[in-house]
Amino acid sequence: MTLAFYALLFVIVAPVFGGLLAGADRIVTARMQSRVGPPLLQPFYDVGKLFQKQSRLLNPIQEPLLLGHVVMMAATGAMMVSGTDLILVTFVFALASLLLVLAAGSAYSPYSFAGAERELIVLLASEPFFILMMAAICKVTDASTFGAVLASPTWVAFQLPGILIAFLMVATIKLRKSPFDISTSHHAHQELVSGLTSDMSGRLLAYVELAHWYESALLCGFAVLLFNWSIPLGIGAFLVAYAAEVLVDNVTSRAKWQLVLRSTWVATLLFAGGNVLALFVVGR
Amino acid sequence: MSSLISFLIAFPLLIGTLLLFTWWPKVRNLIVVASCVAVAAVSIATVIQFGNGNGVFFGLPGGVEPGAALIVSEIAMTAFVVAISIYNRRFFAPVLALIQLGIALYLELAGKLPEADPQRLFWFDRLSMVMVLVVGIIGPLICINAIGYMRDYHRSSPMVKGRRNVFFSLLFIFLAGMFGLVASNYLPMMLVFWEVTTLCSFLLIGYSRTDETIGYAFRALNMNLIGGVGFSVAIALLAEQPNGLDLAMLTSGPVSGVLLLAVALLALAGITKSAQMPFSSWLLGAMYAPSPTSALLHSSTMVKAGVFLLLRLSPAMAGSSVGYLVAFVGLLTFLFVSLVAGTEENLKKVLAYSTIGSLGLIGGCAGIGTPELVWAGVMIIIFHAMAKGLLFLTVGTLENRLYTKNIENFDALLSLMPRVSVLMLVGIAGMFIAPFGIVIAKWAAIRAFLAVPGIAGAALVTIMAFGSSLTIFYWGKLLIKIMSARRQSDYERSIERRISWYEWLSEAPLAIGVIAATLLIGPLSDNVVGPWATAAFSAAPRTFLTMDPAALLIMMAAVVFLPAVAYWSWRHPNYDHADFYASGRSTNNAHVMGMALGGIHRVSLRGYYLSGVLDGTLVFNAGTLACAATLLAMVTAGVVAR
Amino acid sequence: MSFFSKSPWIFHYDASSCNGCDIEVLACLTPFYDLERFGIVNTGNPKHADILLITGSVNERNIEIVQNLYRQMPDPKVVVAVGACACSGGIFARAYNIQGGVDKVVPVDVYVPGCAARPESIIDGVVQGIAALEQKRKKTA
Repeated sequence: MTLAFYALLFVIVAPVFGGLLAGADRIVTARMQSRVGPPLLQPFYDVGKLFQKQSRLLNPIQEPLLLGHVVMMAATGAMMVSGTDLILVTFVFALASLLLVLAAGSAYSPYSFAGAERELIVLLASEPFFILMMAAICKVTDASTFGAVLASPTWVAFQLPGILIAFLMVATIKLRKSPFDISTSHHAHQELVSGLTSDMSGRLLAYVELAHWYESALLCGFAVLLFNWSIPLGIGAFLVAYAAEVLVDNVTSRAKWQLVLRSTWVATLLFAGGNVLALFVVGR
Repeated sequence: MSSLISFLIAFPLLIGTLLLFTWWPKVRNLIVVASCVAVAAVSIATVIQFGNGNGVFFGLPGGVEPGAALIVSEIAMTAFVVAISIYNRRFFAPVLALIQLGIALYLELAGKLPEADPQRLFWFDRLSMVMVLVVGIIGPLICINAIGYMRDYHRSSPMVKGRRNVFFSLLFIFLAGMFGLVASNYLPMMLVFWEVTTLCSFLLIGYSRTDETIGYAFRALNMNLIGGVGFSVAIALLAEQPNGLDLAMLTSGPVSGVLLLAVALLALAGITKSAQMPFSSWLLGAMYAPSPTSALLHSSTMVKAGVFLLLRLSPAMAGSSVGYLVAFVGLLTFLFVSLVAGTEENLKKVLAYSTIGSLGLIGGCAGIGTPELVWAGVMIIIFHAMAKGLLFLTVGTLENRLYTKNIENFDALLSLMPRVSVLMLVGIAGMFIAPFGIVIAKWAAIRAFLAVPGIAGAALVTIMAFGSSLTIFYWGKLLIKIMSARRQSDYERSIERRISWYEWLSEAPLAIGVIAATLLIGPLSDNVVGPWATAAFSAAPRTFLTMDPAALLIMMAAVVFLPAVAYWSWRHPNYDHADFYASGRSTNNAHVMGMALGGIHRVSLRGYYLSGVLDGTLVFNAGTLACAATLLAMVTAGVVAR
Repeated sequence: MSFFSKSPWIFHYDASSCNGCDIEVLACLTPFYDLERFGIVNTGNPKHADILLITGSVNERNIEIVQNLYRQMPDPKVVVAVGACACSGGIFARAYNIQGGVDKVVPVDVYVPGCAARPESIIDGVVQGIAALEQKRKKTA
């Protein structure tokens, strides 16, 4: 019963958290550019408006795919906090991300398609890290669920410094920040137009935003797993990391997909893989 | 039991011989359909009679000794290989075949072969039961599909001489060999069935008899015969050990000394048959065979014989250096072929790489050998057989309608052939999407690898992380192509209506099977796979990883919901076909784009093939080298253990 | 409750302008004017936009483009013609290839005069556009 409550809590609280985070992100970004920036609740206004707009479909399958994207993203988080095995969570997470790729690709228009292919590349770049991270967390705590990791006496972050470093890199991908925002972006005047959201209008775009809020909250959940001895510390660490991502977003330009894939894999192999290796060799 | 298994071996053999001399298509189709129904029915009857207990042993009806029959069939097969090789001016295969025959004759004539216990020729346990169901239900479905496929195949390739009597004959003889193989306990008998499947595969790959396919056929033959030689040497070594030739006794627990060397050689045979690196290239060449062959031999059943043997050997090699090295051959293969698959445009080759990868995963599970891992291995066998069989059949259907196997030409398939697309979507989902069985097995495998200590454990987990992600990449790319849509002309939409009933009636049940088996994964694990895995290791009964039924149902609903809605909405009359953004240029949903000065341009979109990051050939060769070294180390470890 | 006034997204198209107005449009996004304060985003994609901001007059070659972009915007939508050329053809009105103002090819809701239009007046025009947007939404709702 408690677990179902946590799942429900995630489904309700996560979009609020993600939306506020996105709003804060826009304000911080604006301040870094010495602008005032929009109100904190701007992302909610945007999504509200998108639901009031007309939605035009290139391919009717887009809508169920995008709905599936939101639902699976929410389900990933709900499953995680309600005690599903963490390694399975990464597989569900990948499925949720894949649905967005398919929704964009199925539009079969030049910009959406390029965005979808690039999103697939970033999925390929980021997924090994998440599996390794969860495996490492399960290994050090001897637990397999969210609750059990939090209850574990082991302080995870101290045993997984490599994972922490790689997490910063991969979070850049998942939060769609420069230099790894190769598949889509909000800014005008880009070679990809809006990448995978190019041909989504109205509520379709709102689904994408909503799912992204869930995704941010999910990443925050991952950070909590790493700082398992204190939930506030985990959220705090995530916010600090997010601020760093905003800074990086503002000072770098978009990389080519080859560079994204190579650098992420090398970082994953070096930091996350090295960390896992150390755990297996030195650990119990 | 005895009579049913004998029927499953003898009946297809008989029908195969009969079909060889049946030149009339209508009669042949009738015989094929009727015997397929019979084989499936008897397979189910066998399972019902077995009743899901622990292993049983039995011999031929009336306690007949197989000794003479075995040696006669070995001589016949060797003579056939020698004759056909010399006819085609190939000389490596006959050497291997003669070595094998030499070993067999030496053992027989020198009286080294101990008397086989006539009551322990066959061994039927839950694993055999799974295999009999795979062979006995998926096999006949593929044979029925082949009726429709081969008709169109000969229409679209008029240069190939029609020898459909030989084709169907071989399919049935293959089924007989496969049934014998999965139920064998006496190793020399298993070797005979092993060679039957090798020969059928060889002949079916070379079906069109062009220079190219003959080359690939001989490559397959050579590599499989290398495994066969390994098998023969293992038998020679085991013949001197008490009860060595009894598979059940050999694999009742960890072995050492000469037995370990023999197990290593048997594992070598398993690795060649399941096309693990460095022997992967034969399976890629085998893709030139007609698609039902690929479905039946090269994905659903025959290559499974290799990993079936590895799973059988798992308790014997678990914990030994041989076991570890077998696991590394498997998982390195999984990693390398997944990398290569991301760079491949030919869909049949992608399917082949994915097959090799899945088999590698099973090999990895068998090599480490814990109840959890072999559980995962058997689960992959079950789900892979259905999903990949379905995929090969649908690709065959597409190939005969669109005259292409290139992924890039499957644009907008959902609007062109909605029904076939939905079948394909189910097959692809079955290969890598979350609630389906293979993902559950991967999850279980990662969990179990976490418990492996030392560098090996870290390497296995890391390989799993990268390999699994790569599967998402190459399947995702194909899904994008299939799910896209554009307006189709009436002619284009009529293509799907010309697909024969043979094809629908074989593909639809497989798709339903993939979904049903996933929903029933709990009972399947509790009653069949789980008890087998614990019994094989004489371990205490335990519960294996399964998903919470509620979560499973929710995810399944989400995944099945998608193709259903897709199909429905594509036919929906109110759908307005909005045009896409092309920087203001006028476009329409038939993907024609207006250009400057009134020109028009047809839009074509190509996926990413990791160019500039990965070179497929280079990666394949690197994998082959790495696995060859590992394999060498494995055999060496066996020799050292002696 | 309507969110259009809080989140009007703009798509800017340069028809055949001397680029004076375009520079002023971009100036609106700079720290000095900071249009994003009002939730305005320059999207660069008609499918995401609520307001089509056109600078420059329409010529023979881009009639089709302007119409296509307008058609691809989802409802409700408004068009703001920025600068003298967009309003009437301006200094180019008599040129051989010029059709005239934007209203010759798509319905225009707000005319922003000036050569080049001042950022203040552009912002003013967008605000009036938002009001038009609200009216259109009420009509369709």
